Amino acid sequence: MTVAGWILLVSAAVALLGALLAVGLRNIFHNILGFALAMLGVAGVFGSLGSDFLAAVFVLVYVGAVAIAMVYAVMLSHPLDQPHRPRKGWKIAGAAALAAGVAAALWGVLRQARWLEAVPGGDNSAARTGTRFLTDYVLAFELVSVLLVVAMMGAVMVARRARPGRGSW
Amino acid sequence: MTLPLVLGLATALFGIGLYGLLQRRSLVAMLIALELMLASISLNVVALTTFTGHDPSMGQVVVLIFVGVAAAEVAIALSLFVAIHRAEHDIDVEHLSELRG
Repeated sequence: MTVAGWILLVSAAVALLGALLAVGLRNIFHNILGFALAMLGVAGVFGSLGSDFLAAVFVLVYVGAVAIAMVYAVMLSHPLDQPHRPRKGWKIAGAAALAAGVAAALWGVLRQARWLEAVPGGDNSAARTGTRFLTDYVLAFELVSVLLVVAMMGAVMVARRARPGRGSW
Repeated sequence: MTLPLVLGLATALFGIGLYGLLQRRSLVAMLIALELMLASISLNVVALTTFTGHDPSMGQVVVLIFVGVAAAEVAIALSLFVAIHRAEHDIDVEHLSELRG
């Protein structure tokens, strides 16, 4: 087995473990750490598929920004102070059954499809991706930029504490 | 061999995320589960464009747009959670059953 194959296997295992920790543990801080681990694993899978730019983006955006923002939100909303209320067993079982059913159905569809597996080829370097972004997909690129600006302004507006005497917008 | 492995991983991540979205009650935990599902979709897109003969940079463009939209979604959602906590002192979805201006 090649080095890339081993990296892929280890990354996939890390992603699965992280996802299980992110969903299964009760402490929300541990969930966020598991989420960061899962995203590291997904970035490793991207890297072993040859998409090293995407791997870097996933580490930067998810591990670097999203996980930190989640920690801030948890610190501002103190969910650990809430008394623990046990979840009803049938709700957990129902959620697990539905999720397992959907995953099994998806896997069945994927197994039935006859993928014509081609040899990985073509240029997926960061330079090629950037060129496509600024030529063929420039409208999508600009729309995402506008969406991000609007979302950041909206986030500030929503989370901003209305100061007494100045009214709220 | 690689393609089924990645597709299987994406399916498993999607299932785990769906379970978390249904089972957890904290809004932050539900957001984490949602992000896992989004990441599994990104995995599918990259694996399929890499291994089925399409232009792989196309998949990267699509996933980068996903990442941008997901970042916007996280920013809005987290600020909403903070605002909800300020108003209700709780971010448990089973307690947030009132809509009031």
